Amino acid sequence: MSYLSPAARLRIRVAGLGTLVVVFAITVLSLGRHSSAQSKDAEPNSRLNSEPAVRIPSNVAWTEETLTMVSSGDAFRGLLLARRCNHCHGEEGFSSVPGFPNLAGQDRLSFWKQMQDFRSGKRASPVMQGIAEGFPARASADLAAYYAMLPTASDPQDARTFPQAMQDPSRASIAIRLIVFGDGQRGIPPCQSCHGPVSYVKGAPPLATQNGEYLEQQLERFSSGYRANDINVRMRSIARQLTAEEKTAVSEYYGAGLGPGANSR
Amino acid sequence: MTLVALAILSTRYDMVDLPVWHFLGGGKALDPAGLHLQGEFVESNLGAAEGPARSVTVRMIAQQFVFVPQCIAVPAGVPITFRITSADVVHTLSFLGTDYGLKAVPGAVTEATFTFAKAGEFKIPCHEFCGAGHYAMRGRLDVVPRDQFASLLPGERRTCELP
Repeated sequence: MSYLSPAARLRIRVAGLGTLVVVFAITVLSLGRHSSAQSKDAEPNSRLNSEPAVRIPSNVAWTEETLTMVSSGDAFRGLLLARRCNHCHGEEGFSSVPGFPNLAGQDRLSFWKQMQDFRSGKRASPVMQGIAEGFPARASADLAAYYAMLPTASDPQDARTFPQAMQDPSRASIAIRLIVFGDGQRGIPPCQSCHGPVSYVKGAPPLATQNGEYLEQQLERFSSGYRANDINVRMRSIARQLTAEEKTAVSEYYGAGLGPGANSR
Repeated sequence: MTLVALAILSTRYDMVDLPVWHFLGGGKALDPAGLHLQGEFVESNLGAAEGPARSVTVRMIAQQFVFVPQCIAVPAGVPITFRITSADVVHTLSFLGTDYGLKAVPGAVTEATFTFAKAGEFKIPCHEFCGAGHYAMRGRLDVVPRDQFASLLPGERRTCELP
């Protein structure tokens, strides 16, 4: 503004101040109007004679306190607690049964949320519900910290089933298309826009080192509505759109260790 | 006069296109992280609901990267009140082929009433860059002739299935 004369600068300042004063006045006035509009707004809602029964998918909400608590888990305490998980999920976080999920390198928020949902029964699992009841929120956060730390590099000494070659490699092109591009015409966003490595949303697990059989089972359960603990129907909406072949293709592709991000850690 | 005009203009909150008083007190704040726990945007309350005199209210959530519900069915020639919010970032939806559109803002409810004169299917793309999956964020609005749109029960919420 150095090219302006002092008088012009003063005028601009006065104009700015004046604008502020008027904005303040309008805001104060509108507050009163807003509150009266609120009471008018409330009327049409109450006129809806009855509301459907409320369904809550998960008791977890990503509030600041929750995020802070979950991300401050102690990995060493988690290491000690993880003995109870080793039998099914493997000593290195890779399970020896393809139907069980691998936990190594798992996202903290995602892991913690699933533990809470198992505990509250929002995600049905006869096995995991009993086990998760033994882990209070704090202990789950410790476990989450431990598993998030475990490396996902391959280890020939370990009895893991991951990765398993695709049964039908010709499906790889279907999988790549869905993982990288999704299908805009059907409203299917690409897997990698939420599950990484391109970007993550809170509570979405990374899939690059997950067992294919487990993934396919979960996609199936999301689309049938058997599993319904995703917040705001996000994953159910997407899984419903996938054909059986697409579910198999994506799951096998990730399960074969071919997914983006599989070798990046 | 200039000052008054400036003042009125500045009350349209930049980028969000809502009056500033939307963000100042008055009424309960909507927690974008807790929409699924309580309030009108719980998942069982989403979709088209019928009020008195067959008026229709549609509740919707926009989130990265799907609209919920993804497909909405409404009757033609009836004022449809949309109430939408966002669970994460700002999204904008428009009903392609009509002049109507809405902005979904986290923490605020955007309400608007539109009347769709003709029956038809309208795509609902997201118009505000919202992240990596933005381009695939699409829903659909099915406007069906009024006589074919069966009345909703009081507790019923209507959605439809994408093909």
